Amino acid sequence: MIAFRDVAVRYPRREVLALDGVSLEATRGRITAVVGPNGSGKSTLVRALVGRVPLARGGIAVDGADAGAGSRRELATRVAVVTQREESPFPIGVHDYVALGRHPHLGVWRAPSAVDRAAVARAIAVTEIEALTDRPVTELSGGEWQRVRLARAVAQGGDALVLDEPTTFLDVGHEMAVFELLSRLAREGQAVLLVSHQLNLVARFADHLVLLHRGTVAAHGSPAEVMLGPVLERVYDWPLVVTRDPAVGAPSLVPLRSRSRG
Amino acid sequence: MRLSRWLLIGLALAAAALAGIAFGTLRLSPPDVWHAALGQGDPMHVTIVRSLRLPRVLLAALVGAGLGAAGAALQGATRNALAEPYLLGVSGGAAVGAVLAVALHAPPALIPLAGFAGALAAVALTLLVARAGGGHGDARTVLMAGVVVGSFANAAIMVALSNADPSVVRGALWWMMGSVADASWPQVRVLSLFVAVGIAILIALARAIDVLALGEDTAAGLGVDVARVSLGVYVAGALLAAGTVAAAGLVGFVGLLVPHLVRLAGARTHRGLIAGAAIVGATLVVLADVIARVALPPSELPLGAVTALVGVPFFLARLRRLA
Amino acid sequence: MLRASQALALAGALALAAGCDAPHSRAAARGALTDDLGDTLQPSAAPRRIVSLNPTTTEMLFAIGAGSRVVGRTTYDVLPAAARTVPDLGPGIRPNVEAVLAARPDLVILYASNDNRPAARTLRAAGVPTVAYRVDRIADFVRVTRALGALTGDTAAARRDVDSVQAALARVRAATAALPHPTVFWPLFDAPLLAIGGGSFLDELITIAGGRNVYGDLPQPSPAITFEDLIRRDPDVIIASAASRQRYLADPKWRALRAVRESRLVSVDSLLATGPTDRIGASADALARLLHPELAK
Repeated sequence: MIAFRDVAVRYPRREVLALDGVSLEATRGRITAVVGPNGSGKSTLVRALVGRVPLARGGIAVDGADAGAGSRRELATRVAVVTQREESPFPIGVHDYVALGRHPHLGVWRAPSAVDRAAVARAIAVTEIEALTDRPVTELSGGEWQRVRLARAVAQGGDALVLDEPTTFLDVGHEMAVFELLSRLAREGQAVLLVSHQLNLVARFADHLVLLHRGTVAAHGSPAEVMLGPVLERVYDWPLVVTRDPAVGAPSLVPLRSRSRG
Repeated sequence: MRLSRWLLIGLALAAAALAGIAFGTLRLSPPDVWHAALGQGDPMHVTIVRSLRLPRVLLAALVGAGLGAAGAALQGATRNALAEPYLLGVSGGAAVGAVLAVALHAPPALIPLAGFAGALAAVALTLLVARAGGGHGDARTVLMAGVVVGSFANAAIMVALSNADPSVVRGALWWMMGSVADASWPQVRVLSLFVAVGIAILIALARAIDVLALGEDTAAGLGVDVARVSLGVYVAGALLAAGTVAAAGLVGFVGLLVPHLVRLAGARTHRGLIAGAAIVGATLVVLADVIARVALPPSELPLGAVTALVGVPFFLARLRRLA
Repeated sequence: MLRASQALALAGALALAAGCDAPHSRAAARGALTDDLGDTLQPSAAPRRIVSLNPTTTEMLFAIGAGSRVVGRTTYDVLPAAARTVPDLGPGIRPNVEAVLAARPDLVILYASNDNRPAARTLRAAGVPTVAYRVDRIADFVRVTRALGALTGDTAAARRDVDSVQAALARVRAATAALPHPTVFWPLFDAPLLAIGGGSFLDELITIAGGRNVYGDLPQPSPAITFEDLIRRDPDVIIASAASRQRYLADPKWRALRAVRESRLVSVDSLLATGPTDRIGASADALARLLHPELAK
């Protein structure tokens, strides 16, 4: 559904390309996860998708059509994005904030309809934030804010959900709840593109993994195919082993103590 | 915002307008004011109420509405609670235009036009400087460019005034302190057009500003053309500010303070904020003008000073709330 | 030197005569008065309630006998003493139009500056005859006194006032014509340092009193000057108030001036600073005596 083809991005006044020829595809019904060390270009992929950085090379297609052509608003009705960092300087209420997710569908003059209200209600229910709806967003904890942002993206509707580090501040229970929600959305037909540090959780839930290293794809495939010790060690530059977790049967990454310290 | 709050601020504006017509250097009893407003009774009272006080109140209301709405929209679009309409270089540019006109002994009718032209030139310069500084429409860059252009304008004004003769200095200083004392019906007509168009544009952009306030990346993800919407807000805000400056000189603090007051009253989305800020802004400036007229009779205080003085306690109350 | 001063006096007298008569006679021929903002007024019946928002014209009105008809003045119109009983209507620059209208005047005299054009317009639109004058030089004093006389109907009193002042000035000029003319520096303000320049009536007084203003070559009434330039011009006499005298004598910077070292500091507290009124005759006399001690003998 979202296809990156040989995408290269250079930030202004930088020598090195942040992304240098990345190709990947996030298809409907699957969770596609992009992993990699800090600075490997994961967030740049998301920025390129929403048009915040220009492409030096290559293209991004959504359902076959170039993402850059056509209106951004129309694109936003089909692809919902949750960025890594977001902060509201003003105390907008949680319910109003989630309702902003319907903005691409409303445009300037249309008033929200029953469809819009239903989408907002469903998003609040599915992300389990009913208890927060009357609070101003400036009074939420890090974890609560993250779930509220996810609700906004769910309210946005569309066929694809792109998330950059959606579980950073979440405790184990909420983290699992988010991943299970993403699984469910993928099963219901959405294309979920996920950028995450949480290799182990990603290994359990993602259908397709893309490992980025210094702006290029170092490996891609199923979690079992990508999570190989030598590859990961090279990319993350840290001693580690990959085992198979007996409890859940998924590849599990175990970092070791650094060699220099023994 | 709840309906009761809207009614409250609407009533406050009506009360302020009534005070503006009823109070002044000359003490008029309520029946006198009523008759004079209708054109009956002592012709001197009629002149005072209809030709002096009424245009003043209307002009003050328009200035406050324009500045309040522009302030609310700019704070949202720049995601900065300390933004205000003069930040884009408007006040500095307008002052340079007006001071130059005064120094060149231009006919008084040209001074507001010069101020207006100066304001727009400064905003254009600010946007150009921001573009040259990198970052397409990044709010922080724009704000910094505005500060730079403003400082430059202040320096230019100081140079111009340091070698000017006393009447020029006096004229320039008076203009910079703000006043609606010369309000006339033609002025009211022109400004009402500006304010109506400017506020209409801002309210049309209000939903986009809600999204823009979340951050430029998030806004892009929600389909908002960040550069276009930001530019729209800056231009509409600049037109509003420049129009009010041409009509009444520099009236500070209104654009900064009023959006905070409206937020305190419960407005959350920018549609309500901008409309509410227009009403509350109008009320504030009308009240300030009344105080300016009756505080130290028969002299008049400068309007810009009174808005700041009246605004400070409100701002302090707000700060205490935040703490 | 005699010939030069005589020529100067003659030229001064001619200038006064030429400057003051021409516009008046033209206006008198039409019956209408043109004020200093370029607006015309057709004087009608003698006004009985005059608002004068200009310290100089207020004093003039009292001088020509119209003082009892003045019903409003600015906060700064405090001369003559009788003027203080007139109601204070606020500032003269950007006047409080409402206060003026409330006094129900049938003639308003404003200070002629661009700042006051909106007020003049509003007052005329309200049906109140309004004129604006600026009295900066001695020629203006003559012109405006006559104009006020025409407006209030006190033409005879105005003429007498002008004639007596002109006679007094001529006497002073004659008395000092043959005497040496010291160079004079008259500071108006210390920070920024402002001097009385060639555009001020005080400069005219200096000349009439038999002195030479070191800054008479500058056209402004009160130009800003630098101390270095003042040292270069090296005035013979400095005109200063008693308080300033003490300050200059004690200040090492000021002691760099010959006039201060030689203690040639002349005190003129009694002289006015706002504009030329009928007191300039006496002022010129007093200044002449201060600049030329030999006159006392």
